[in-house]
Amino acid sequence: MNRAITYVKTFALWELLRGLSVTLRNFFRPSVTLEYPEEKTPQSPRFRGLHALRRYPNGEERCIACKLCEAVCPALAITIESDVSDDGTRRTTRYDIDLFKCIYCGFCEEACPVDAIVETRLHEYHMELPGENIMTKDKLLAIGDKYDAMISADKAADAKYR
Amino acid sequence: MLESLEGKQGKPRFKPPFPANYGLYGKPTTINNTQSLASVPAIIRNGAAWFAALGPEGSGGTALFSVSGHVEKPGNYELPMGIPFKDLLNDVCGGVLGGRKLKAVIPGGSSCKVLPADIIMDCTMDYTSLQQAGSSFGTGAVVVMDETTCMVKVLRRISRFYMAESCGQCTPCREGTGWLYRMLTRIIDGKGEEADLHKLVDVANKIEGHTICALGDAAAWPVQSFLKHFHDEFAYMIRNHGRSIVDAATDAAA
Amino acid sequence: MSDDIVNIEVDGEAVEARRGQMLIEVTDAVGAYVPRFCYHDKLSVAANCRMCLVEVEKVPKPMPACATPVGEGMKVFTKSPKAIAAQKATMEFLLINHPLDCPICDQGGECELQDLAIGYGRDVSRYNDGKRVVKDKDIGPLVSTDMTRCIHCTRCVRFGEEITGKPQLGTTDRGENMKIGTYVEQSVDHELSANIIDLCPVGALNNKPYRYSARAWEMAQHATVSPHDCVGSNLYAHVLRGTVKRIVPRANESINESWIADRDRYSYEAIYSGDRLMRPRVKENGAWRDVDWEGALAQAADVLKSADQDKVALIATPAVTVEEGHLLSQIADHLGTANIDHRVGRRDVSDQDNDPMYPSLGCSIAEIEQHDAILVAGSNVRAEAPIIAHRLRKAAVAGAAISFANSSVYEYLFDVANYLSGAGLVELLAGVAVAAADGNSLPDSVTELCDGVTASGAHKDVARSLAEADRAIVLLGNIAGRHASYTAVRALAAAIAELTGASFGGLSEGPNSAGACLAGVLPHRAQGGENRVTAGLDVASMLAQAMDAVVLVNVEPDADIHAATDAVARLAEQAFVVALTPFVSDALLEAADLLLPTGTFAETSGTYVNVEGTWQSFSGVASAVGEARPTWKVLRVLGNLVDAPGFDYVTSVDVRDEFVARLGEISTSNAYEASGRIAKVNGADAPANDIDIPLYSVDALVRRATALQLTDEAQRARAVSDG
Repeated sequence: MNRAITYVKTFALWELLRGLSVTLRNFFRPSVTLEYPEEKTPQSPRFRGLHALRRYPNGEERCIACKLCEAVCPALAITIESDVSDDGTRRTTRYDIDLFKCIYCGFCEEACPVDAIVETRLHEYHMELPGENIMTKDKLLAIGDKYDAMISADKAADAKYR
Repeated sequence: MLESLEGKQGKPRFKPPFPANYGLYGKPTTINNTQSLASVPAIIRNGAAWFAALGPEGSGGTALFSVSGHVEKPGNYELPMGIPFKDLLNDVCGGVLGGRKLKAVIPGGSSCKVLPADIIMDCTMDYTSLQQAGSSFGTGAVVVMDETTCMVKVLRRISRFYMAESCGQCTPCREGTGWLYRMLTRIIDGKGEEADLHKLVDVANKIEGHTICALGDAAAWPVQSFLKHFHDEFAYMIRNHGRSIVDAATDAAA
Repeated sequence: MSDDIVNIEVDGEAVEARRGQMLIEVTDAVGAYVPRFCYHDKLSVAANCRMCLVEVEKVPKPMPACATPVGEGMKVFTKSPKAIAAQKATMEFLLINHPLDCPICDQGGECELQDLAIGYGRDVSRYNDGKRVVKDKDIGPLVSTDMTRCIHCTRCVRFGEEITGKPQLGTTDRGENMKIGTYVEQSVDHELSANIIDLCPVGALNNKPYRYSARAWEMAQHATVSPHDCVGSNLYAHVLRGTVKRIVPRANESINESWIADRDRYSYEAIYSGDRLMRPRVKENGAWRDVDWEGALAQAADVLKSADQDKVALIATPAVTVEEGHLLSQIADHLGTANIDHRVGRRDVSDQDNDPMYPSLGCSIAEIEQHDAILVAGSNVRAEAPIIAHRLRKAAVAGAAISFANSSVYEYLFDVANYLSGAGLVELLAGVAVAAADGNSLPDSVTELCDGVTASGAHKDVARSLAEADRAIVLLGNIAGRHASYTAVRALAAAIAELTGASFGGLSEGPNSAGACLAGVLPHRAQGGENRVTAGLDVASMLAQAMDAVVLVNVEPDADIHAATDAVARLAEQAFVVALTPFVSDALLEAADLLLPTGTFAETSGTYVNVEGTWQSFSGVASAVGEARPTWKVLRVLGNLVDAPGFDYVTSVDVRDEFVARLGEISTSNAYEASGRIAKVNGADAPANDIDIPLYSVDALVRRATALQLTDEAQRARAVSDG
């Protein structure tokens, strides 16, 4: 008996029909696919993307070259050199993040006592030439300046959970 | 004093070695209070038994009482030890100023623990009695305070003195006295918090016994005793943003 | 059991202690750590931080472990609830007025307060009133101040009072307003002053040139040895990515204790000075041109090989390492010349055959302080060897009679028994010698020198103090060594030592005079102190004659050569001068024809033998600057190129091991035997001003260390030399 049923099912392409029924059911369900890049998924304010160095509202760099981010970085992606600045404060003379090494863990952001290094929500970036993976201090500050509104809003949104 | 005589800063010397072994310029030195030294001629003249008989057991001789504050007749009085405080106040000093009610007394200088009226009135002025009452004879500088006195302000004044007098040599006294003073000032300015009262006592406890000289203890004792006996006044001031319980009483009376 | 031992109990464990010891010494010895800030084993007890409070049985109050002497049967609890509570209380008080600026503080990561705050601090501050702010003081170019961070432990104050004897820091004001500072605006400028950086438990006093340039945790620590004086202070170099960021002391009780001189600490700045020679250069028709190493070395080898063997001169400084000396003297042997010398500072070599095998102190460095009487002749010892000066001060404080004989008067920060001055060194020593003889006969060598000399009261005092002491020593300094009549000076000093029963020794120049002598970098002696069959020329004679080839090793002809005048001009006249040098200077550009860049002490490995005969090897700690190569490697390749046999060394350790194996018995004897009667000195016994080298001019490194050159001391010296 069983053998007969199997025989029929084999020739009726029963398994195929079962599979196609899944397809058919989903055909009438609402679509969940996004048309990236026209459409995008929502992001958490805690999203950890490209890094930025922030400034105070008066334009002063936040970073004080304490090197805690460099020390905490598990991937050794951060390289900092520091010196006394013209106004006598402690400042970086070099602040490099190697994006190839970075694992986007966010420890640098956690370690920072002055909220200088942050990971923004930017995740759409690419490199074309060797060496572009190194984010220098100037590049990081430029990102911070450009996306200051976004960074500030994200920080504010997350503040009450910290 | 030895350091000052040697031309150095007036800071306590660490003991041991004690001055009796290694004192001024490294020579054995005896240091005594003027009052102790002043008793010597009289004792030599009249004998030790006479001196001891002047006061109760354990507190022989006379003492110089320097009575100040709210009394009719403040001044320095040499009286036998063991005189009841009641007599000192009423008979010798002519009672509380303006016939007002006694509130509290610091029996032996600002470093001694304060005693509220009901306790001090039963005390005799000698070492044992005052010690049993929870204070000490100290220097015999009696500070009398009547009912119009705000104890918070008195304590702040005392704390300010100890902050200014701290030499700065050792940590608890250098940092702690200023902390006490600033907390009290904050309470008087109406910015106190309930937690401050516990903090005051805790800080005082942490100064006491941890310093090189006795100034740290002296700064701690008033805070501990004022808060022990007059906790209400401090709490009232904090709750009412700097308004003293004394002012409240006068307003109510008016 | 002796009376000096008391039995105490620390945390329940029975411990034996010496009577009079403080509790903290005992707890440290048994490994029961008690937190502390003001206590330091080299300084007096202050007991003012109150961090080391511990519970002692039967004592109501917690007791400071640093100031409580042990007593029989004492039971100490270092970690009882009462002790911990007292320590935590102190920590809270210390922290209320301490700024929370650890992220920018250079002490961060190596801060005693930070470390102990982890263990004894609260996680949240209860203090919400205003914090104290203190104005920073400018105490000179070496030490930066952030006085708000000060916790008033007074270690720096006690250092000034007890170690240097120059109390420049002190406390002013009282209570909360107590401050550490200089009483009047001035810099702190003792030659050991920067040690307060290490003493300071917080970041109040810090290293100024190093300021903000690195963090403690990211640097690698490498042991090295100071190249500035004959002491050979032990150092640690802190290196970040191949760059020396700072130098700190490496404790060695027998040499430098836990201190180092300021120039040991800051000379590293010169490694990165703009004067560094980055690649080999050659002079062609008066113009300099960069060349590659291969070409430069080949040219040097050609010149050496084609030179007449008597016309090759090799001049080094006492800063050559043992390895470099060994290679250099082998090259000289191979080339068949004995014109090799390292004594660039010595003017008088007439008596060189009577030199000891190597210049020695005559006792160990640590033994200096055990002497009862010391005569230091011809020395500005604070500039020549600050650590020796510190040992002398310790001896003086312990009651020794320290006397000086010198034409010029230098300041010493202790009670000097007698300071003989106002005349030439020979005259002063002759007076002491006559006084020491006390009517008896003088050694034959000095009879002529002492002829007609009468001893004054001071001379007699000095002689008496030496003769009466249980342990006495006569020490000659670098001024004596550079003296135009060194022969006479040494004979007299040796005579004084002999007559008074004192030992005899001296300071040598540079870090490795001893090693250079042993390695045979001498014209009259081969390796191991054997006399050469025919002596070569000393530095002055080499420069005076026309040579085919001159090799300078780390020599700055204008500043290092005192043996001859006009060294630069004379070198410029020589046929071909090869200079192995880390630095380029106008003088070298004028004098040399080929410049080969070599590493400084930080970039090379090697061995120094100090004045007490201690061999100290070190490895290279920093990456090479430019194309500089360690001198020993350059010499090794040069040896290959001139076909010297056996130059197959791979490491400097190979060189040293070979040398040590060849070296026979080393004689430490300082016994001086004159060759005959020394003639009366006429005219050459001038005051010593011109042969004293100021503190911060001793060598090429120190002369280029920016911070050191900014000190008052260096500026004063410059003002004097500029007239």
